[in-house]
Amino acid sequence: MIEISSTPLIILAILGTVAIAIPLISISRKDRGSSLFYGAIALGALLASIGYVIYQFVTGNVAQSAIFSEDVLVDDAFGGLFAIAMLIVAIMTTVASFNYMRKHKHPAVYFSLILLSAIGMVFVAYSTDLVMLFVAWELMSIPTYILAGYMKKDPSSNEAALKYFLFGALSSAIIIYGISIAYGITGSTNIGEVIQGFSTLDPTMTPLALLAVGMFIAGFGFKMGLVPFHMWLPDTYEGAPPTIAALLAAGTKKVGFAAALRIIIMGAVALSLDWTFALGIIAVMTMTVGNIAAVMQKNLARMLAYSSIGHAGYILIGLSIAPFSAIGIQGSLFHILNHAVMKGAAFIAVAGIVTTLAVTNIDKLKGLARKMPITSLGLVISLLALAGVPPLSGFWSKLMLFGGAIDAGPIAAWAPWLAIAGVLNSALSLAYYGWIIRKMYFEGENEKRVKEPKSIIAVMIFSIIFIVAIGVYPDPIIQFTETAVPNLAALSP
Amino acid sequence: MSNELIDFVIVSIALLGIGIYGLSVKRNAIRMLFAVEIIINAANLNLVAFARFIPHSGGQTLALFSIAIAAAEVAVGLSLIIVAYRMYQNIDIADFRSLKG
Repeated sequence: MIEISSTPLIILAILGTVAIAIPLISISRKDRGSSLFYGAIALGALLASIGYVIYQFVTGNVAQSAIFSEDVLVDDAFGGLFAIAMLIVAIMTTVASFNYMRKHKHPAVYFSLILLSAIGMVFVAYSTDLVMLFVAWELMSIPTYILAGYMKKDPSSNEAALKYFLFGALSSAIIIYGISIAYGITGSTNIGEVIQGFSTLDPTMTPLALLAVGMFIAGFGFKMGLVPFHMWLPDTYEGAPPTIAALLAAGTKKVGFAAALRIIIMGAVALSLDWTFALGIIAVMTMTVGNIAAVMQKNLARMLAYSSIGHAGYILIGLSIAPFSAIGIQGSLFHILNHAVMKGAAFIAVAGIVTTLAVTNIDKLKGLARKMPITSLGLVISLLALAGVPPLSGFWSKLMLFGGAIDAGPIAAWAPWLAIAGVLNSALSLAYYGWIIRKMYFEGENEKRVKEPKSIIAVMIFSIIFIVAIGVYPDPIIQFTETAVPNLAALSP
Repeated sequence: MSNELIDFVIVSIALLGIGIYGLSVKRNAIRMLFAVEIIINAANLNLVAFARFIPHSGGQTLALFSIAIAAAEVAVGLSLIIVAYRMYQNIDIADFRSLKG
Protein backbone atom coordinates (compact mmCIF):
# COMPACT_ATOMS: atom_id res chain seq x y z
CA MET A 1 0.00 0.00 0.00
CA ILE A 2 1.09 3.52 -0.71
CA GLU A 3 1.56 5.65 2.38
CA ILE A 4 -0.91 8.37 3.23
CA SER A 5 1.85 10.98 3.54
CA SER A 6 3.28 10.27 0.08
CA THR A 7 3.59 13.21 -2.27
CA PRO A 8 0.81 12.51 -4.80
CA LEU A 9 -1.82 11.92 -2.12
CA ILE A 10 -0.97 15.13 -0.25
CA ILE A 11 -1.05 17.09 -3.51
CA LEU A 12 -4.44 15.56 -4.29
CA ALA A 13 -5.73 16.53 -0.84
CA ILE A 14 -4.50 20.15 -1.06
CA LEU A 15 -5.38 20.94 -4.67
CA GLY A 16 -8.57 18.88 -4.76
CA THR A 17 -10.04 20.52 -1.67
CA VAL A 18 -9.22 24.01 -2.87
CA ALA A 19 -10.42 23.33 -6.42
CA ILE A 20 -13.81 22.23 -5.11
CA ALA A 21 -13.97 24.96 -2.46
CA ILE A 22 -13.35 27.90 -4.81
CA PRO A 23 -16.60 27.58 -6.84
CA LEU A 24 -18.55 26.93 -3.61
CA ILE A 25 -17.20 30.14 -2.08
CA SER A 26 -18.13 31.95 -5.26
CA ILE A 27 -21.72 30.67 -5.06
CA SER A 28 -22.16 31.50 -1.39
CA ARG A 29 -20.95 35.09 -1.67
CA LYS A 30 -23.30 37.90 -2.70
CA ASP A 31 -20.77 39.64 -4.92
CA ARG A 32 -18.94 37.26 -7.23
CA GLY A 33 -15.56 38.50 -6.00
CA SER A 34 -12.51 39.57 -7.94
CA SER A 35 -10.09 37.41 -9.87
CA LEU A 36 -7.41 38.48 -7.41
CA PHE A 37 -9.23 36.87 -4.46
CA TYR A 38 -9.76 33.46 -6.08
CA GLY A 39 -6.41 33.60 -7.80
CA ALA A 40 -4.69 34.18 -4.46
CA ILE A 41 -6.41 31.11 -2.95
CA ALA A 42 -5.40 28.97 -5.94
CA LEU A 43 -1.85 30.32 -5.80
CA GLY A 44 -1.63 29.49 -2.09
CA ALA A 45 -2.68 25.89 -2.75
CA LEU A 46 -0.19 25.50 -5.59
CA LEU A 47 2.65 26.97 -3.52
CA ALA A 48 1.79 24.63 -0.64
CA SER A 49 1.92 21.61 -2.96
CA ILE A 50 5.21 22.53 -4.61
CA GLY A 51 6.57 23.22 -1.13
CA TYR A 52 5.55 19.73 -0.06
CA VAL A 53 7.19 18.12 -3.13
CA ILE A 54 10.46 19.94 -2.37
CA TYR A 55 10.18 19.14 1.35
CA GLN A 56 9.84 15.43 0.52
CA PHE A 57 12.98 15.64 -1.62
CA VAL A 58 14.96 17.50 1.03
CA THR A 59 14.03 15.06 3.79
CA GLY A 60 14.92 12.14 1.51
CA ASN A 61 11.52 10.45 1.56
CA VAL A 62 11.47 10.06 -2.21
CA ALA A 63 12.56 6.79 -3.74
CA GLN A 64 15.05 6.54 -6.57
CA SER A 65 13.32 6.54 -9.91
CA ALA A 66 11.33 3.29 -9.97
CA ILE A 67 9.24 2.60 -13.00
CA PHE A 68 7.30 -0.30 -11.53
CA SER A 69 5.30 -0.68 -8.41
CA GLU A 70 2.61 -3.02 -7.20
CA ASP A 71 0.42 -0.04 -6.37
CA VAL A 72 -1.29 2.33 -8.73
CA LEU A 73 0.98 5.21 -7.72
CA VAL A 74 4.65 5.41 -6.83
CA ASP A 75 6.34 8.28 -5.02
CA ASP A 76 9.62 8.42 -6.95
CA ALA A 77 12.07 11.02 -8.23
CA PHE A 78 10.81 10.71 -11.81
CA GLY A 79 7.31 11.75 -10.80
CA GLY A 80 8.74 14.41 -8.50
CA LEU A 81 10.62 16.08 -11.35
CA PHE A 82 7.49 16.26 -13.45
CA ALA A 83 5.43 17.42 -10.46
CA ILE A 84 7.82 20.33 -9.88
CA ALA A 85 7.81 21.30 -13.57
CA MET A 86 4.00 21.09 -13.87
CA LEU A 87 3.35 22.98 -10.64
CA ILE A 88 5.74 25.76 -11.73
CA VAL A 89 3.75 26.04 -14.96
CA ALA A 90 0.45 26.10 -13.06
CA ILE A 91 1.80 28.81 -10.73
CA MET A 92 2.98 30.93 -13.66
CA THR A 93 -0.40 30.56 -15.38
CA THR A 94 -2.31 31.43 -12.20
CA VAL A 95 -0.24 34.53 -11.44
CA ALA A 96 -0.45 35.76 -15.03
CA SER A 97 -4.23 35.29 -14.96
CA PHE A 98 -4.70 37.82 -12.14
CA ASN A 99 -4.61 40.58 -14.71
CA TYR A 100 -5.81 38.64 -17.70
CA MET A 101 -9.05 37.52 -16.04
CA ARG A 102 -9.92 40.89 -14.53
CA LYS A 103 -12.27 41.86 -17.35
CA HIS A 104 -13.90 38.46 -17.62
CA LYS A 105 -16.71 36.84 -15.69
CA HIS A 106 -16.58 33.75 -13.48
CA PRO A 107 -12.97 33.85 -12.28
CA ALA A 108 -13.69 31.20 -9.62
CA VAL A 109 -14.41 28.45 -12.16
CA TYR A 110 -11.38 29.41 -14.21
CA PHE A 111 -8.94 28.99 -11.31
CA SER A 112 -10.69 25.85 -10.12
CA LEU A 113 -10.25 24.25 -13.56
CA ILE A 114 -6.55 25.15 -13.59
CA LEU A 115 -6.12 23.38 -10.24
CA LEU A 116 -8.01 20.27 -11.40
CA SER A 117 -5.90 20.09 -14.53
CA ALA A 118 -2.75 20.44 -12.39
CA ILE A 119 -3.82 17.43 -10.29
CA GLY A 120 -4.22 15.39 -13.46
CA MET A 121 -0.80 16.42 -14.77
CA VAL A 122 0.93 15.49 -11.52
CA PHE A 123 -0.86 12.16 -11.29
CA VAL A 124 0.01 11.04 -14.83
CA ALA A 125 3.68 11.37 -13.90
CA TYR A 126 3.25 9.38 -10.67
CA SER A 127 0.99 6.59 -11.92
CA THR A 128 2.23 3.04 -12.43
CA ASP A 129 -1.07 1.49 -13.42
CA LEU A 130 -2.87 1.88 -16.73
CA VAL A 131 -6.24 2.54 -15.05
CA MET A 132 -4.74 5.32 -12.91
CA LEU A 133 -2.85 6.69 -15.88
CA PHE A 134 -5.98 6.86 -18.03
CA VAL A 135 -8.10 8.52 -15.33
CA ALA A 136 -5.35 11.07 -14.59
CA TRP A 137 -4.90 11.71 -18.31
CA GLU A 138 -8.59 12.56 -18.63
CA LEU A 139 -8.58 14.65 -15.45
CA MET A 140 -5.80 16.67 -17.05
CA SER A 141 -7.48 16.94 -20.47
CA ILE A 142 -11.15 17.68 -19.79
CA PRO A 143 -10.61 20.96 -17.84
CA THR A 144 -8.26 22.23 -20.55
CA TYR A 145 -10.96 21.75 -23.23
CA ILE A 146 -13.16 24.17 -21.30
CA LEU A 147 -10.29 26.55 -20.54
CA ALA A 148 -9.28 26.76 -24.23
CA GLY A 149 -12.82 27.88 -25.06
CA TYR A 150 -13.15 30.16 -22.05
CA MET A 151 -13.67 33.35 -24.10
CA LYS A 152 -17.21 32.37 -24.99
CA LYS A 153 -17.94 35.36 -27.21
CA ASP A 154 -14.72 35.02 -29.20
CA PRO A 155 -15.11 32.82 -32.32
CA SER A 156 -11.43 31.91 -32.50
CA SER A 157 -11.36 30.75 -28.88
CA ASN A 158 -14.35 28.51 -29.51
CA GLU A 159 -12.90 27.16 -32.73
CA ALA A 160 -9.62 26.43 -30.97
CA ALA A 161 -11.44 24.59 -28.19
CA LEU A 162 -13.54 22.54 -30.60
CA LYS A 163 -10.54 21.40 -32.63
CA TYR A 164 -8.61 20.65 -29.47
CA PHE A 165 -11.57 18.73 -28.07
CA LEU A 166 -12.09 16.54 -31.14
CA PHE A 167 -8.42 15.58 -31.38
CA GLY A 168 -8.09 15.21 -27.62
CA ALA A 169 -11.12 12.91 -27.45
CA LEU A 170 -9.75 10.88 -30.35
CA SER A 171 -6.38 10.58 -28.60
CA SER A 172 -7.95 9.31 -25.39
CA ALA A 173 -10.13 6.87 -27.37
CA ILE A 174 -7.00 5.49 -29.06
CA ILE A 175 -5.21 5.25 -25.71
CA ILE A 176 -8.03 3.26 -24.12
CA TYR A 177 -8.14 0.94 -27.14
CA GLY A 178 -4.41 0.39 -26.75
CA ILE A 179 -4.88 -0.29 -23.04
CA SER A 180 -7.63 -2.82 -23.82
CA ILE A 181 -5.32 -4.74 -26.17
CA ALA A 182 -2.42 -4.65 -23.69
CA TYR A 183 -4.77 -5.90 -20.98
CA GLY A 184 -6.10 -8.65 -23.23
CA ILE A 185 -2.72 -10.12 -24.09
CA THR A 186 -1.04 -9.77 -20.69
CA GLY A 187 -3.96 -10.08 -18.28
CA SER A 188 -3.07 -7.13 -16.10
CA THR A 189 -3.29 -3.34 -16.02
CA ASN A 190 -0.20 -2.81 -13.86
CA ILE A 191 2.52 -1.33 -16.07
CA GLY A 192 5.20 -3.56 -14.56
CA GLU A 193 3.20 -6.72 -15.15
CA VAL A 194 2.24 -5.62 -18.67
CA ILE A 195 5.90 -5.21 -19.58
CA GLN A 196 6.75 -8.52 -17.94
CA GLY A 197 3.99 -10.07 -20.03
CA PHE A 198 5.30 -8.42 -23.21
CA SER A 199 8.82 -9.74 -22.71
CA THR A 200 7.63 -13.35 -22.26
CA LEU A 201 5.07 -13.19 -25.04
CA ASP A 202 4.12 -16.00 -27.37
CA PRO A 203 5.66 -15.00 -30.75
CA THR A 204 2.27 -15.32 -32.47
CA MET A 205 0.97 -12.52 -30.25
CA THR A 206 3.77 -10.05 -31.07
CA PRO A 207 1.81 -8.18 -33.80
CA LEU A 208 -0.92 -7.43 -31.24
CA ALA A 209 1.65 -6.10 -28.77
CA LEU A 210 3.09 -3.94 -31.54
CA LEU A 211 -0.41 -2.66 -32.30
CA ALA A 212 -0.87 -1.73 -28.64
CA VAL A 213 2.46 0.14 -28.49
CA GLY A 214 1.64 1.84 -31.80
CA MET A 215 -1.69 3.01 -30.41
CA PHE A 216 0.04 4.39 -27.31
CA ILE A 217 2.48 6.30 -29.54
CA ALA A 218 -0.39 7.72 -31.60
CA GLY A 219 -2.53 8.57 -28.57
CA PHE A 220 0.19 10.26 -26.55
CA GLY A 221 1.69 11.70 -29.75
CA PHE A 222 -1.45 13.80 -30.29
CA LYS A 223 -0.85 15.60 -27.01
CA MET A 224 2.92 15.81 -27.53
CA GLY A 225 2.45 17.30 -31.01
CA LEU A 226 4.61 14.77 -32.85
CA VAL A 227 4.54 15.37 -36.54
CA PRO A 228 1.90 13.22 -38.15
CA PHE A 229 -0.42 14.17 -35.27
CA HIS A 230 0.27 17.90 -34.92
CA MET A 231 -2.33 19.56 -37.14
CA TRP A 232 -4.61 20.77 -34.33
CA LEU A 233 -1.83 22.31 -32.29
CA PRO A 234 -1.10 25.69 -33.97
CA ASP A 235 -4.81 26.53 -34.28
CA THR A 236 -5.45 25.71 -30.65
CA TYR A 237 -2.48 27.61 -29.25
CA GLU A 238 -3.32 30.66 -31.37
CA GLY A 239 -7.03 30.76 -30.59
CA ALA A 240 -6.98 29.84 -26.91
CA PRO A 241 -6.43 32.61 -24.32
CA PRO A 242 -2.62 33.10 -24.18
CA THR A 243 -2.41 32.19 -20.49
CA ILE A 244 -4.09 28.87 -21.30
CA ALA A 245 -1.82 28.41 -24.30
CA ALA A 246 1.04 28.62 -21.79
CA LEU A 247 -0.59 25.88 -19.70
CA LEU A 248 -1.12 23.70 -22.79
CA ALA A 249 2.32 24.20 -24.35
CA ALA A 250 4.32 24.01 -21.18
CA GLY A 251 2.14 21.64 -19.14
CA THR A 252 -0.08 19.12 -20.92
CA LYS A 253 2.42 18.63 -23.72
CA LYS A 254 5.18 17.63 -21.29
CA VAL A 255 2.84 15.22 -19.53
CA GLY A 256 2.62 13.33 -22.80
CA PHE A 257 6.36 12.73 -22.47
CA ALA A 258 5.95 11.50 -18.90
CA ALA A 259 3.39 8.96 -20.04
CA ALA A 260 5.56 8.08 -23.03
CA LEU A 261 8.54 7.40 -20.78
CA ARG A 262 6.46 5.22 -18.49
CA ILE A 263 4.81 3.16 -21.23
CA ILE A 264 6.14 3.42 -24.77
CA ILE A 265 9.84 3.20 -23.98
CA MET A 266 9.36 0.39 -21.48
CA GLY A 267 7.04 -1.58 -23.73
CA ALA A 268 9.34 -1.17 -26.67
CA VAL A 269 12.41 -2.20 -24.65
CA ALA A 270 10.61 -5.30 -23.50
CA LEU A 271 9.55 -6.13 -27.04
CA SER A 272 13.22 -5.70 -28.07
CA LEU A 273 12.55 -4.49 -31.56
CA ASP A 274 14.21 -1.91 -33.72
CA TRP A 275 11.87 0.84 -32.57
CA THR A 276 14.50 3.45 -31.76
CA PHE A 277 15.14 4.17 -35.42
CA ALA A 278 11.44 4.88 -36.00
CA LEU A 279 11.36 7.27 -33.03
CA GLY A 280 14.51 8.96 -34.37
CA ILE A 281 12.82 9.54 -37.74
CA ILE A 282 9.76 11.00 -35.99
CA ALA A 283 12.08 13.24 -33.94
CA VAL A 284 13.83 14.64 -37.03
CA MET A 285 10.51 15.13 -38.87
CA THR A 286 8.94 16.84 -35.88
CA MET A 287 11.73 19.35 -35.33
CA THR A 288 12.15 20.13 -39.03
CA VAL A 289 8.45 20.63 -39.78
CA GLY A 290 7.96 22.72 -36.63
CA ASN A 291 10.88 25.04 -37.25
CA ILE A 292 10.33 25.49 -41.01
CA ALA A 293 6.65 26.30 -40.48
CA ALA A 294 7.55 28.71 -37.67
CA VAL A 295 9.70 30.81 -40.03
CA MET A 296 6.66 31.68 -42.14
CA GLN A 297 4.33 32.81 -39.35
CA LYS A 298 3.09 36.36 -38.93
CA ASN A 299 1.34 35.80 -35.61
CA LEU A 300 3.49 35.59 -32.49
CA ALA A 301 1.36 32.97 -30.70
CA ARG A 302 1.23 30.80 -33.80
CA MET A 303 4.98 31.05 -34.25
CA LEU A 304 5.52 29.96 -30.66
CA ALA A 305 3.14 27.04 -31.26
CA TYR A 306 5.21 25.82 -34.21
CA SER A 307 8.40 26.32 -32.24
CA SER A 308 6.93 24.17 -29.47
CA ILE A 309 6.36 21.42 -32.06
CA GLY A 310 10.05 21.75 -32.90
CA HIS A 311 10.99 21.39 -29.24
CA ALA A 312 8.96 18.18 -28.98
CA GLY A 313 11.36 16.89 -31.62
CA TYR A 314 14.42 17.79 -29.53
CA ILE A 315 12.98 16.06 -26.47
CA LEU A 316 12.21 12.98 -28.55
CA ILE A 317 15.91 12.66 -29.44
CA GLY A 318 16.59 11.68 -25.86
CA LEU A 319 13.78 9.14 -25.88
CA SER A 320 14.87 7.55 -29.14
CA ILE A 321 18.46 6.97 -27.96
CA ALA A 322 17.37 5.89 -24.47
CA PRO A 323 18.75 2.32 -24.65
CA PHE A 324 22.21 3.47 -25.79
CA SER A 325 22.90 6.54 -23.70
CA ALA A 326 21.83 7.61 -20.23
CA ILE A 327 22.87 11.20 -20.96
CA GLY A 328 20.29 11.51 -23.70
CA ILE A 329 17.35 10.66 -21.49
CA GLN A 330 18.74 12.85 -18.71
CA GLY A 331 18.92 15.65 -21.27
CA SER A 332 15.29 14.99 -22.18
CA LEU A 333 14.18 15.36 -18.57
CA PHE A 334 16.28 18.51 -18.15
CA HIS A 335 14.90 19.96 -21.39
CA ILE A 336 11.34 19.18 -20.28
CA LEU A 337 11.89 21.21 -17.10
CA ASN A 338 13.59 24.06 -18.98
CA HIS A 339 11.11 24.13 -21.81
CA ALA A 340 8.22 24.31 -19.34
CA VAL A 341 9.59 27.58 -17.95
CA MET A 342 10.87 29.04 -21.23
CA LYS A 343 7.75 28.38 -23.29
CA GLY A 344 5.46 29.31 -20.40
CA ALA A 345 7.27 32.65 -20.03
CA ALA A 346 7.07 33.31 -23.78
CA PHE A 347 3.32 32.67 -23.92
CA ILE A 348 2.73 34.75 -20.79
CA ALA A 349 4.66 37.61 -22.37
CA VAL A 350 2.23 37.29 -25.29
CA ALA A 351 -0.63 37.44 -22.78
CA GLY A 352 0.82 40.67 -21.38
CA ILE A 353 1.14 42.18 -24.86
CA VAL A 354 -2.43 41.15 -25.73
CA THR A 355 -3.92 42.64 -22.55
CA THR A 356 -2.19 46.02 -22.86
CA LEU A 357 -1.80 46.55 -26.61
CA ALA A 358 -4.20 43.97 -28.15
CA VAL A 359 -1.78 42.96 -30.90
CA THR A 360 -0.24 39.59 -31.75
CA ASN A 361 1.00 40.32 -35.26
CA ILE A 362 4.80 40.33 -35.38
CA ASP A 363 4.88 43.39 -37.67
CA LYS A 364 3.07 45.43 -35.04
CA LEU A 365 5.65 44.72 -32.35
CA LYS A 366 7.85 47.60 -33.54
CA GLY A 367 9.47 49.41 -30.66
CA LEU A 368 7.95 47.13 -28.05
CA ALA A 369 11.13 47.37 -26.01
CA ARG A 370 10.37 51.02 -25.31
CA LYS A 371 6.66 50.48 -24.66
CA MET A 372 6.97 47.46 -22.35
CA PRO A 373 10.63 47.05 -21.31
CA ILE A 374 10.24 44.29 -18.73
CA THR A 375 7.88 42.12 -20.79
CA SER A 376 10.18 42.55 -23.77
CA LEU A 377 13.21 41.54 -21.74
CA GLY A 378 11.40 38.43 -20.48
CA LEU A 379 10.34 37.53 -24.03
CA VAL A 380 13.87 38.02 -25.37
CA ILE A 381 15.49 35.95 -22.62
CA SER A 382 13.03 33.10 -23.12
CA LEU A 383 13.39 33.20 -26.92
CA LEU A 384 17.19 33.14 -26.67
CA ALA A 385 16.98 30.27 -24.18
CA LEU A 386 14.64 28.40 -26.54
CA ALA A 387 17.19 28.82 -29.32
CA GLY A 388 19.87 27.45 -27.00
CA VAL A 389 22.14 30.47 -26.66
CA PRO A 390 24.72 30.13 -23.88
CA PRO A 391 24.77 30.89 -20.97
CA LEU A 392 21.00 30.39 -20.66
CA SER A 393 19.30 27.24 -19.38
CA GLY A 394 18.23 25.96 -22.82
CA PHE A 395 21.87 25.66 -23.87
CA TRP A 396 22.76 23.02 -21.26
CA SER A 397 19.80 20.77 -21.93
CA LYS A 398 20.33 20.93 -25.68
CA LEU A 399 24.02 20.22 -25.13
CA MET A 400 23.14 17.11 -23.13
CA LEU A 401 20.63 15.94 -25.76
CA PHE A 402 22.97 16.40 -28.71
CA GLY A 403 25.96 15.14 -26.72
CA GLY A 404 23.98 12.02 -25.83
CA ALA A 405 23.15 11.48 -29.50
CA ILE A 406 26.83 11.67 -30.48
CA ASP A 407 27.72 9.48 -27.50
CA ALA A 408 25.38 6.77 -28.84
CA GLY A 409 27.19 6.80 -32.20
CA PRO A 410 29.31 3.68 -31.67
CA ILE A 411 26.20 1.57 -31.01
CA ALA A 412 23.71 3.14 -33.40
CA ALA A 413 25.31 4.61 -36.52
CA TRP A 414 22.37 6.92 -37.24
CA ALA A 415 22.33 8.62 -33.81
CA PRO A 416 24.90 11.39 -34.58
CA TRP A 417 22.69 12.50 -37.47
CA LEU A 418 20.03 13.38 -34.91
CA ALA A 419 22.52 15.75 -33.27
CA ILE A 420 23.36 17.32 -36.65
CA ALA A 421 19.66 17.80 -37.45
CA GLY A 422 19.13 19.30 -34.00
CA VAL A 423 21.98 21.79 -34.34
CA LEU A 424 20.81 22.86 -37.81
CA ASN A 425 17.28 23.33 -36.51
CA SER A 426 18.52 25.39 -33.56
CA ALA A 427 20.36 27.67 -35.98
CA LEU A 428 17.20 28.03 -38.05
CA SER A 429 15.16 28.84 -34.96
CA LEU A 430 17.67 31.52 -33.93
CA ALA A 431 16.95 33.21 -37.28
CA TYR A 432 13.24 33.73 -36.65
CA TYR A 433 13.69 34.54 -32.97
CA GLY A 434 16.29 37.12 -34.01
CA TRP A 435 13.79 38.67 -36.39
CA ILE A 436 11.33 39.29 -33.54
CA ILE A 437 14.08 40.68 -31.32
CA ARG A 438 15.10 43.06 -34.12
CA LYS A 439 11.49 44.28 -34.46
CA MET A 440 11.21 44.89 -30.74
CA TYR A 441 14.54 46.58 -30.10
CA PHE A 442 15.80 48.20 -33.29
CA GLU A 443 12.68 49.41 -35.08
CA GLY A 444 10.13 52.10 -34.40
CA GLU A 445 10.71 55.49 -32.84
CA ASN A 446 9.29 57.69 -30.15
CA GLU A 447 7.09 55.08 -28.48
CA LYS A 448 5.87 56.08 -25.05
CA ARG A 449 6.18 53.64 -22.21
CA VAL A 450 2.82 52.06 -21.30
CA LYS A 451 1.80 50.61 -17.97
CA GLU A 452 2.64 46.90 -17.78
CA PRO A 453 0.39 44.54 -15.81
CA LYS A 454 1.99 43.85 -12.42
CA SER A 455 1.30 40.12 -12.36
CA ILE A 456 2.89 39.65 -15.80
CA ILE A 457 5.96 41.54 -14.56
CA ALA A 458 6.17 39.17 -11.59
CA VAL A 459 6.13 36.11 -13.88
CA MET A 460 8.70 37.68 -16.21
CA ILE A 461 11.09 38.45 -13.37
CA PHE A 462 10.72 34.93 -11.97
CA SER A 463 11.43 33.32 -15.33
CA ILE A 464 14.39 35.59 -16.11
CA ILE A 465 15.93 34.65 -12.76
CA PHE A 466 15.17 30.94 -13.30
CA ILE A 467 16.56 30.81 -16.84
CA VAL A 468 19.71 32.81 -16.10
CA ALA A 469 20.40 31.10 -12.76
CA ILE A 470 20.19 27.62 -14.27
CA GLY A 471 22.19 28.78 -17.25
CA VAL A 472 25.02 30.09 -15.06
CA TYR A 473 25.01 27.33 -12.48
CA PRO A 474 23.33 24.16 -13.83
CA ASP A 475 25.04 21.60 -11.57
CA PRO A 476 22.31 21.08 -8.93
CA ILE A 477 19.58 20.59 -11.53
CA ILE A 478 21.76 18.21 -13.55
CA GLN A 479 22.35 16.13 -10.44
CA PHE A 480 18.64 16.22 -9.71
CA THR A 481 17.75 14.95 -13.19
CA GLU A 482 20.32 12.19 -12.80
CA THR A 483 18.35 10.73 -9.88
CA ALA A 484 15.16 10.93 -11.94
CA VAL A 485 16.40 8.92 -14.92
CA PRO A 486 14.53 5.62 -15.11
CA ASN A 487 16.80 2.62 -14.87
CA LEU A 488 16.52 0.97 -18.27
CA ALA A 489 19.35 -1.50 -17.74
CA ALA A 490 17.13 -3.48 -15.36
CA LEU A 491 14.67 -4.04 -18.18
CA SER A 492 16.77 -5.30 -21.04
CA PRO A 493 16.11 -8.97 -21.53
CA MET B 1 -21.11 -22.31 -27.58
CA SER B 2 -21.29 -19.42 -29.95
CA ASN B 3 -19.91 -16.67 -27.72
CA GLU B 4 -16.21 -17.21 -28.17
CA LEU B 5 -13.72 -14.45 -27.40
CA ILE B 6 -12.93 -13.95 -31.08
CA ASP B 7 -16.52 -12.90 -31.82
CA PHE B 8 -16.31 -10.02 -29.38
CA VAL B 9 -12.94 -8.96 -30.75
CA ILE B 10 -14.24 -8.99 -34.32
CA VAL B 11 -17.21 -6.79 -33.36
CA SER B 12 -14.85 -4.48 -31.50
CA ILE B 13 -12.53 -4.15 -34.50
CA ALA B 14 -15.53 -3.48 -36.74
CA LEU B 15 -16.63 -0.69 -34.37
CA LEU B 16 -13.09 0.75 -34.40
CA GLY B 17 -13.21 0.78 -38.20
CA ILE B 18 -16.62 2.51 -38.23
CA GLY B 19 -15.32 5.13 -35.79
CA ILE B 20 -12.21 5.89 -37.83
CA TYR B 21 -14.31 6.06 -41.02
CA GLY B 22 -16.72 8.48 -39.36
CA LEU B 23 -13.92 10.73 -38.15
CA SER B 24 -12.18 10.91 -41.48
CA VAL B 25 -15.23 11.37 -43.72
CA LYS B 26 -17.82 13.36 -41.75
CA ARG B 27 -17.44 17.07 -41.06
CA ASN B 28 -20.43 17.58 -38.78
CA ALA B 29 -19.16 18.14 -35.23
CA ILE B 30 -21.77 15.94 -33.58
CA ARG B 31 -21.17 13.09 -36.01
CA MET B 32 -17.44 13.32 -35.29
CA LEU B 33 -18.14 13.27 -31.54
CA PHE B 34 -20.22 10.13 -32.03
CA ALA B 35 -17.46 8.51 -34.07
CA VAL B 36 -15.09 9.05 -31.13
CA GLU B 37 -17.68 7.60 -28.77
CA ILE B 38 -17.95 4.49 -30.97
CA ILE B 39 -14.18 3.96 -30.67
CA ILE B 40 -14.37 4.32 -26.87
CA ASN B 41 -17.21 1.80 -26.77
CA ALA B 42 -15.23 -0.60 -28.95
CA ALA B 43 -12.47 -0.43 -26.35
CA ASN B 44 -14.99 -0.99 -23.54
CA LEU B 45 -16.36 -4.06 -25.31
CA ASN B 46 -12.81 -5.38 -25.62
CA LEU B 47 -12.13 -4.79 -21.94
CA VAL B 48 -15.28 -6.52 -20.74
CA ALA B 49 -14.83 -9.45 -23.10
CA PHE B 50 -11.22 -9.98 -22.04
CA ALA B 51 -12.13 -9.65 -18.37
CA ARG B 52 -14.45 -12.64 -18.77
CA PHE B 53 -11.60 -14.88 -19.90
CA ILE B 54 -8.88 -13.56 -17.60
CA PRO B 55 -8.81 -14.22 -13.84
CA HIS B 56 -8.39 -10.51 -13.11
CA SER B 57 -11.33 -8.15 -12.90
CA GLY B 58 -9.34 -4.99 -13.65
CA GLY B 59 -10.80 -4.78 -17.12
CA GLN B 60 -14.37 -4.40 -15.89
CA THR B 61 -13.26 -1.70 -13.44
CA LEU B 62 -11.52 0.18 -16.23
CA ALA B 63 -14.62 -0.16 -18.45
CA LEU B 64 -16.74 1.46 -15.72
CA PHE B 65 -14.22 4.29 -15.30
CA SER B 66 -14.08 4.76 -19.05
CA ILE B 67 -17.89 4.99 -19.36
CA ALA B 68 -18.02 7.67 -16.66
CA ILE B 69 -15.16 9.62 -18.22
CA ALA B 70 -16.71 9.38 -21.69
CA ALA B 71 -19.91 10.87 -20.27
CA ALA B 72 -17.97 13.82 -18.84
CA GLU B 73 -16.17 14.26 -22.13
CA VAL B 74 -19.41 14.29 -24.11
CA ALA B 75 -20.88 16.90 -21.76
CA VAL B 76 -17.94 19.21 -22.37
CA GLY B 77 -17.94 18.53 -26.11
CA LEU B 78 -21.65 19.18 -26.56
CA SER B 79 -21.41 22.42 -24.61
CA LEU B 80 -18.62 23.60 -26.92
CA ILE B 81 -20.73 22.61 -29.94
CA ILE B 82 -23.74 24.57 -28.57
CA VAL B 83 -21.59 27.68 -28.17
CA ALA B 84 -20.33 27.23 -31.73
CA TYR B 85 -23.89 26.83 -33.01
CA ARG B 86 -24.96 30.09 -31.35
CA MET B 87 -22.10 31.88 -33.05
CA TYR B 88 -22.25 30.41 -36.55
CA GLN B 89 -25.80 28.90 -36.75
CA ASN B 90 -23.96 25.83 -38.06
CA ILE B 91 -21.88 22.98 -36.70
CA ASP B 92 -19.95 22.01 -39.80
CA ILE B 93 -16.29 22.21 -38.79
CA ALA B 94 -15.23 22.77 -42.39
CA ASP B 95 -16.85 26.22 -42.03
CA PHE B 96 -14.80 27.20 -38.97
CA ARG B 97 -11.94 28.96 -40.64
CA SER B 98 -10.97 31.95 -38.55
CA LEU B 99 -7.65 30.28 -37.72
CA LYS B 100 -5.25 29.15 -40.39
CA GLY B 101 -1.74 29.55 -41.72
